[in-house]
Amino acid sequence: MRGYLIQRAVVSVLILWIIASANFVIFQVVSPITPISGIVDPSFSPEMKEALLELYGLREPLHIRYIKYIRNLFTWNFGFSFQTMASVAEEMSWRLPSTILLLGSAMVATILVGIPIGILAASRRGSKIDVLAIGSGLLTWGVPVFFIQLLFMLFFSYYAYMTWGFKIFPSSSLYSTPPPTAPLAYMADIAWHLAMPVLTLVVGGFGSWALYTRNVMLESLTQDYVVTARAKGLSERTVLYRHAFRSTLPPVVTMIALGIPGIISGAMITEWIFSLPGIGRWYLNALMAADYPVVQAVLFIYAVLMILANLIADLLYGVLDPRIRVGARR
Amino acid sequence: MASIFSKEKRIIYARKITGFWEEFKRKRIGLVGVSVLIFFLMLAVFAPWLTPYDPVARRRVAEDFAMPAWMTIFPKFKDYPLTQEFSLYWDMEQGLEFIKSWGKAVDVEYQATTMETIDVELSTTFSYNDIPPNAFYFKFEWQAEDVISTEYSVRIRLDTPEGENQTTYLMWSQPRIQQAKGAHVDVESVEPFFRDMLGFDMSENPAPVIFSQKGEYTLLLRMRFKPLSSNASCHIELMNGRFVIPGRVHGILGCDDTGADLFSQLVYGTRISLMIGILCAVAGASIGILVGVITGYFGGVLDEVMMRLVDILLCLPFLPLLLTLVFLYGKSIFYIVLFIAIFGWQGLARMIRSQVLSIRETSFIECARAAGASRFYIIMKHVVPNVLPVAFASLVLSVPGAILFEAALSFLGFGDPRVPTWGKMLHHAYGFGAFTRLAWWWIIPPGLCITTLCLAFVFMGHSLDEVVNPRLRRRR
Repeated sequence: MRGYLIQRAVVSVLILWIIASANFVIFQVVSPITPISGIVDPSFSPEMKEALLELYGLREPLHIRYIKYIRNLFTWNFGFSFQTMASVAEEMSWRLPSTILLLGSAMVATILVGIPIGILAASRRGSKIDVLAIGSGLLTWGVPVFFIQLLFMLFFSYYAYMTWGFKIFPSSSLYSTPPPTAPLAYMADIAWHLAMPVLTLVVGGFGSWALYTRNVMLESLTQDYVVTARAKGLSERTVLYRHAFRSTLPPVVTMIALGIPGIISGAMITEWIFSLPGIGRWYLNALMAADYPVVQAVLFIYAVLMILANLIADLLYGVLDPRIRVGARR
Repeated sequence: MASIFSKEKRIIYARKITGFWEEFKRKRIGLVGVSVLIFFLMLAVFAPWLTPYDPVARRRVAEDFAMPAWMTIFPKFKDYPLTQEFSLYWDMEQGLEFIKSWGKAVDVEYQATTMETIDVELSTTFSYNDIPPNAFYFKFEWQAEDVISTEYSVRIRLDTPEGENQTTYLMWSQPRIQQAKGAHVDVESVEPFFRDMLGFDMSENPAPVIFSQKGEYTLLLRMRFKPLSSNASCHIELMNGRFVIPGRVHGILGCDDTGADLFSQLVYGTRISLMIGILCAVAGASIGILVGVITGYFGGVLDEVMMRLVDILLCLPFLPLLLTLVFLYGKSIFYIVLFIAIFGWQGLARMIRSQVLSIRETSFIECARAAGASRFYIIMKHVVPNVLPVAFASLVLSVPGAILFEAALSFLGFGDPRVPTWGKMLHHAYGFGAFTRLAWWWIIPPGLCITTLCLAFVFMGHSLDEVVNPRLRRRR
């Protein structure tokens, strides 16, 4: 087990390093718009150009810049935003939690809705819930989540506001203005603001989990050990959850890890649509303003999030898959 | 074609295709997918015949946020008028022989005979019997040449219906012009200076006030020529004089915030979505098949390296990366297709590789090898044909992903600005107030089109998968 863990951790750090380097290469070497052209206006005087290049450390040779860049990334030092001149790391530290809150709650909710539907669908093939699992699974492939979100926003925020004079769910931001001061009210306020983004992400995403779980469950329900369990006279419930579902967990966890890029993309568009103060919205705004320090920092953080999630999935995989545990004991 | 395949081969291929079609025909959702795809293909091909408007120029054809025309079947909107357009024309009865008129253009060849001023009047009388409009605008252009010691002026006025409160509004005027010049006049009732000139408050909308009565309105354009000497002459061409009251309803899908037709944007958007979806899928599938077959068949270090690369690519945050690349390299269709294809081959490569791994061990490959076939021959003649059906199914299944990706890019404002796309419609709808105006006709159709087109490909791919994948067939 420990060997497996160390191996996964080393691979993760390696991938992180590759992504960070790719980031550097894209922005500072091959990009047609160099960071220099982002801050230096052609109309500036030569002295001013020199001073600016000196200030941003762009006069140094490429390899020195690369080493500094990598060191800075891994020490949480992302430099200063071209736009606001404020520290990127500082802004990151208050924006990141809201993104993690959105990502985390959306993921947990999607899985909690999707997997039970998949299990039920597999245990009752041909029933209505089976049709729901297959149908929603196919729909997930074809319906853009942002369209679902726009529809929800149109009906629950704007139509509700026009008809009844209040929004069932707010259409933007994470807090009311001004935010309530009592801690409980504050949390309720955030939950109310997060409800629609999370709900729409669940509606747009649970289908693939349901369909995948169903298919894996169907596979495992035909296995010998399930037949044995039934022959032993165990209740259907025990057979389903203790025997069949248990063995579907490793592939489902793998699926979770593979689904993370999609969830991050979805969360980014969600932040954009619902004006949530997360890093996705920040990223888009920075990109449109060619604010490279912010763009690079957010890309790096996305990679870290992704790799962390992969690592957690790997750990779970290790816990869930007896073969890996047994292999480690040897 | 005949020279490429021998007759026997052609028969074999024909039989394969018919057999495949026989099997595919039995999948109901597959057929639904095919018919939806054909529908969209027709839309894409016949777009210029379906709608007369240019989708990119976004020319005003009706009022901002005009509803679809068929909304008038509901009693609440039954009084909503369509766009009304009136052309200024030259009344022959004025009997001035130096004026020629054809169509919407009037040619004035002024030659002074006496020292009197001469008026040339163009007018149009129209009846307006609908609910008061929110806006109106008028346009005309003139071109003056060879102005010799002549002073001319141009003015436009509007008379409201006759009766007690008949009012005359001076809409536009330009006095005492002596040089040869021309102008494009394009005046909209929303412009503050225009409101000021009409004597309205800057914040007051003149359109509903002016058109508050039902009846005959007269619009008059007068050109007054004043000779400054006896040899005065000038040549003026007046074109495209028209007065427009934009309708509150328009076409099949209404209008956006600039009053541009939405149906044309939707129809032309089909082309881009189809093109991007299919191009990306084909490009991605080509890379995937190439990588999958080579790594699967040869194995070794290359396989190891490629599979690690796939691992890394699979855990990249691809939407942010794609946005960055598109931003850096330019928002063009070419780069969008290229980048989506680069990020879209890994899954297929893995699948093909596993297929090739099992095909490699089969006896017919062994036979071919024993018979002395070269590696290239075996790959092209035995391996590739065996993985193609599966690859084709997943190619079809990867189309919706590409379409959704392009839609997301366009929706976030990173699409090609030169082409109309469904994502861009949603981008504009989100950014230009479709929500506060509850303009569902701007939000729902593009989203619905993306969804239907993607689902068509999902259905087809799913059915194809069942046909070519015997494992799936048995299970159902």
